[in-house]
Amino acid sequence: MSTKGTHIPDWLKVPFAGITPGPSQEKGQDLFPTGNWRSIRPVYRDKMPPCNNACGTNEKIQGYLDLVKRGKYLDAYALIKEDMPFPSVTGRVCYHPCEQACNRGQYDEAISIRAVERFLGDLGLALPRDVVQAGPPNGKKVAVVGSGPAGHSAAYQLARMGYAVTILEKSPRAGGLNRGGIPDWVLPQDVLDREVDRLKELGVTIKTNTEVGKDVSWDDLERNYDACVLAVGLTEPNKVKADGEDKPGVVHGLPFLRDIGMGTSKVKVGARVAVIGGGNTAIDCAREAFRQGALEVTMITVESNPQEMPAVPEDLHDMLEEGVELLHGRAMTAVLGNGTVEALELRPARFSGAINASPITIDKNAPAQRFAVDNVIVAVGQHASLDWLPAKFKTERNTIKVDHFGRLGDSKFFAAGDIVQLGTGQPLMVVNAVGDGKRVAFNVDKVLRGEALRPRMLATDVIVDLNRMNMTYFPHFDRVKQDTLNPASRRKTQDEVILAFTEEQAVEEANRCFSCGTCNACDNCYLVCPEPCIIRYDRSNGLYKILVDYCKGCRVCIEECPTGCLEGVPELDFDTGVVRMETAFAITQGLHGRQADELKALPQRAAKEID
Amino acid sequence: MATIDIERQMLPMLGSPNTGARFYNPDLPEGEPFVPGHRTCAGCGPSIQYRMTSKAAGDNTILVGPTGCMYVANSSYLCTPYNVPWAHTQIGSAGSFTAGVAAAYEAMIRKGKWKGKFPNIICEAGDGSVSDIGLASVSGALYRNHDCLIICYDNEQYANTGIQASSRTPYGGMTTFSPPGPKVPEAKTLFPKDLGRMMAAGHPHCYVATASVGYPIDLMNKVRKALNHRGAAFLLMYTPCQKGFVYETPRSIDLGRLVVECGMFPMWEWDPAKREYDYSFRPQNMRGVADYLKLQGRFGHLHAAHIATLQKFANGQWRMMGVEIPQALMDAENPDAHVGMAAAEQAAAIAHTV
Amino acid sequence: MATAAASRRTVRINGCVAAAQAAKYADVDVITAYPIRPYTATMMALAQMVANGELDAEYIVADSEHSQLSMAHGASSSGARVFTGSSGVGVQFAYELYSPISGSRMPVQMMIADRTLDPPGDFGSEHTDALSTRDMGWLMGWSCDAQEAFDNHLLAFRIGEDPRVLLPQMVCQDGFFVSHITADVDLPDTGQVKEFLPPYKHPYPLDPRHPVSHGPQIMPEQGPPLQLERARAMEGSVPVIEQAHNEFAQIFGRKYDPWLEEFMTDGADVVFFLQGGHGVTARYAIRHMRERGAKVGMVRMKTIRPYPTDRINEVLSRFKVVGVIETNMSLGCVSSGGVLYSEVCGALYESATRPLVLSFMAGMGGEAIVLKEFYWMTQKMLDVQKRGGIEKRTHWVGFEE
Repeated sequence: MSTKGTHIPDWLKVPFAGITPGPSQEKGQDLFPTGNWRSIRPVYRDKMPPCNNACGTNEKIQGYLDLVKRGKYLDAYALIKEDMPFPSVTGRVCYHPCEQACNRGQYDEAISIRAVERFLGDLGLALPRDVVQAGPPNGKKVAVVGSGPAGHSAAYQLARMGYAVTILEKSPRAGGLNRGGIPDWVLPQDVLDREVDRLKELGVTIKTNTEVGKDVSWDDLERNYDACVLAVGLTEPNKVKADGEDKPGVVHGLPFLRDIGMGTSKVKVGARVAVIGGGNTAIDCAREAFRQGALEVTMITVESNPQEMPAVPEDLHDMLEEGVELLHGRAMTAVLGNGTVEALELRPARFSGAINASPITIDKNAPAQRFAVDNVIVAVGQHASLDWLPAKFKTERNTIKVDHFGRLGDSKFFAAGDIVQLGTGQPLMVVNAVGDGKRVAFNVDKVLRGEALRPRMLATDVIVDLNRMNMTYFPHFDRVKQDTLNPASRRKTQDEVILAFTEEQAVEEANRCFSCGTCNACDNCYLVCPEPCIIRYDRSNGLYKILVDYCKGCRVCIEECPTGCLEGVPELDFDTGVVRMETAFAITQGLHGRQADELKALPQRAAKEID
Repeated sequence: MATIDIERQMLPMLGSPNTGARFYNPDLPEGEPFVPGHRTCAGCGPSIQYRMTSKAAGDNTILVGPTGCMYVANSSYLCTPYNVPWAHTQIGSAGSFTAGVAAAYEAMIRKGKWKGKFPNIICEAGDGSVSDIGLASVSGALYRNHDCLIICYDNEQYANTGIQASSRTPYGGMTTFSPPGPKVPEAKTLFPKDLGRMMAAGHPHCYVATASVGYPIDLMNKVRKALNHRGAAFLLMYTPCQKGFVYETPRSIDLGRLVVECGMFPMWEWDPAKREYDYSFRPQNMRGVADYLKLQGRFGHLHAAHIATLQKFANGQWRMMGVEIPQALMDAENPDAHVGMAAAEQAAAIAHTV
Repeated sequence: MATAAASRRTVRINGCVAAAQAAKYADVDVITAYPIRPYTATMMALAQMVANGELDAEYIVADSEHSQLSMAHGASSSGARVFTGSSGVGVQFAYELYSPISGSRMPVQMMIADRTLDPPGDFGSEHTDALSTRDMGWLMGWSCDAQEAFDNHLLAFRIGEDPRVLLPQMVCQDGFFVSHITADVDLPDTGQVKEFLPPYKHPYPLDPRHPVSHGPQIMPEQGPPLQLERARAMEGSVPVIEQAHNEFAQIFGRKYDPWLEEFMTDGADVVFFLQGGHGVTARYAIRHMRERGAKVGMVRMKTIRPYPTDRINEVLSRFKVVGVIETNMSLGCVSSGGVLYSEVCGALYESATRPLVLSFMAGMGGEAIVLKEFYWMTQKMLDVQKRGGIEKRTHWVGFEE
């Protein structure tokens, strides 16, 4: 008997016949923490999607598109409402910087984000009660001057934080530029009315026909309120300073639209109308002119071609579809006519420097052109009316002087919207005003609670390179187009020109969203891992965990992540969680003995559930 | 002793949650019979396949592991990543050991010696095992129609022994038994066996299909379909090997797509009921073989003429599937359409000096 | 269909059918078959039994012997009682599997009807086929007739499946001489077998409810303890073998010494040492020679693995000369003859009274060893005894003066 007297030491103990018990799914095969193999570790780092980044109020666009994909419309609506009080407005009027930034534009066509937002906004308006509620009252009062986009947004956020908000609006109806600067066939009155009602449901008081500087003084504001947000906008139209600009029959863009919007317009539009200006307001005026009865409308711009015009290309396209003529490279030097408008004097002109931002040079030597019209609408921008503002808070541009928190010096006055954004290089858009109003509201809150104001953090990693994502998972699909009214029939009504998405269209379009740089729990990384060492906690827009004890750093997950939210970080950059080994084989002494004991006990252990 | 009727499992197909442009994976089964801590290479293609197969099969499964990477690398050293029963067997015993397990369970359940639904019995054998040394045993198991599934994880070589040629190594594929040199500039002169169609043609009562790690949900559904099939099933799965193919590790899944897109690995199913091939699978793109070859160091020595030869081969595969071949791919059969791989010039330079 | 019950009776069957009957009584679950002469008859008999419903088992026609044994391995690993078999080169075709099966402690049973190895093609019996696997860790022994074959198959199941043993078994019998010559065999009734042979239950089978992995790859440092355990298993089978034979005697009434049969060894000076069917003809020869005054006997080895070293040492040391009859070849070996000689000498080395040992190449090619050849061999042994020394280690019977 050769084996007589033999003894296997504990550290060499092995299980019977080398049969090893199966490892548990929870612990993995823990004799070999293969994590020490890697030199690069995958980490989940959501990047900033370009749409969220481009949005003036940083709506979580990627987030709500993802919720729409999953059929969670109410959640999507609630997500928009965190940053945007009136999605049914922006869903109609916004110039969608998000769509310009959308990465899908590099691939086939940008997502029709605005249309999806409109779908959600309208869904929200149809709810018997809004998903947003006023915060518990904190006893403080804030005044908001102006009920336009910036003021509405500031009031909205302040009400959600529990402030007692009063909006002072000088016009007879609330809404600001939403009401008075945007035609009904873009934004119907009743949609705006319901959005304003939502604001009132939050407990916000709106006092119309109340003008600061007339009905209310600076001191009133100072005395009666804990803080004040000035969102007065740019209400005065610019003039071209041509002869005869004050004749009857000459109107300026903003008042023209505003009076129509307020229902107080007395303008009678003749058969031939000229619109001076190349911006969005000018386009709206031109199209509105048709609806007011004009038969011929001509837009006259200093810009020498359509590409130079600061207008949104699709609006320009719609305008031309409706039959407006374009005349480029000209300035109006005089309005001609006896008591009424009979014709315009036009001369060749160009911008002396940067397009749209520099003074106009008129070629005085060139012959003047006579252009017969019945009405002229001058839409060349707006400026503020700030007589009521203490002089120390005025800038040379005639805007309100604020620090980068939107605060007037050390006072309890803040300002937001066009009134501070004019001339800063930011385009003047509803959504930018909303964002400004929102951020100012948060700053007001901080100041009133005695907290320090912190500068705004800008996104450092905006994902714009398609190579950082995996396009294999995104076959080409055409953009879903919104239906429109027949161009020929448009001028007969004030009906909305662009029609809403159906639910199917909204979902179909949302489906095209790449979810750039943001994990949307598609499970691809989980599926392709060879170990597998990616586990799922929680499926709704989170979270996976990488088991660093096992991850070998193969980076297949990073490669196959469709959204690019996974990235590889050199292992040595981590000072914790790195698996280090003393020897080439990470077998803790005695682990095979442990297996031997486990195996012996296996037949008595409860049977594994296999059904 | 009365005999007992044997109850068999039926696994549901994984449906796609996607409509239109949306991309999400379907609800994946929770179970993880293949757990981490095994010593396969980072990014190992067969490992990816193994995990997906185990997940699709579930806990009432027995795995058989003939000698190969999915034996040695997975179970080194005296440990196991399998949360279901697994047994090693000889490299040539893929079909036979599996048949033994299947027969044992038929007898044991029928005679009342084991109670439960018939387990999934899955053999995971490499191409060396299935196509060469174990070909007879696999064919025998399929012919006898044991209720089991034999998977050939095809990495087109004997990988575990340090990369040697098998009858699945493609023309032009460098291995340590088929190195390139002045006498053999293409490295490997032989074309591979058409293993999948051999199995389908020879055993028409079996469910036979090809799959690739580039299409994970398709792979898992084929596994389930094979397991649901009452009788023997065979799956040939393309599973790239980073060590043998020499590519950047993160590309394992990508190669699995490219090989199908360039036609070198046709995706099809054999229907045992209808007794016909289903060639309807179409990848997103159709590419020339060069797109696939250039990512792998094992093809780094190919001259333009060799690439053209491979394109001819690939076009033959498209033709077999009844796919219309675009003119660009027809043109690629001409060596002038290609630039030789980088190492080809070096090899040619050496050849002149010999 | 369930395995039918059977009652006690005597039948006239050959060794192949006797083995098949034993498998049937043992209610095997899986049979793996591949045709090669002469063992094929066992599988033919089993096929009919299964088809008739007398035996409920999965009967698999394998694609080769290698597959046969692999299937057996797989089936045994799953918890099924398995029966397989082969002959000659078939035994060798499956060689790769012998170590894995014994090392993984799976009690597969293999019926071997010996056959000469190629070349040349020859259906006759030599023991080299099974003997060439003797190092692989299987329990191994030869039966000399059909009754012994039947009994040894049942014993092998009992011993191999014992939880203290768990080793595969080769139950060998000479091709033709035992496998195809009929003899009277007492078959028991099913109850007796049920009493003797408990159901097969491996402690760690491939069962989804208790997941284990069989045969992971190891590091060299894990090799020694595993090999030591295999050696322990083989040695540990000795008391189980003895216990099983005692139980067998009690239940079936036939008493066997598990290791050796001594025939007319009382007072013998010279003995033949052999295994298998030639022992039957040897008995006739020895009776004849005893009648003429030759003090000759026979020691027939019934179990060669585990080798009964001490027993052989003790028994053979009583004699002056031992003539090992080799019905096998071990080319280039110590004696330039066969396998048995070296092991006998190894067993006898420490003996103070060890005999002279020589070997005879007899019965090669499957030829009967005829009486004349026994006389010749006996005379050689007596000459050696007289001379006090061997002429040479190996004699080729029939080719020398």
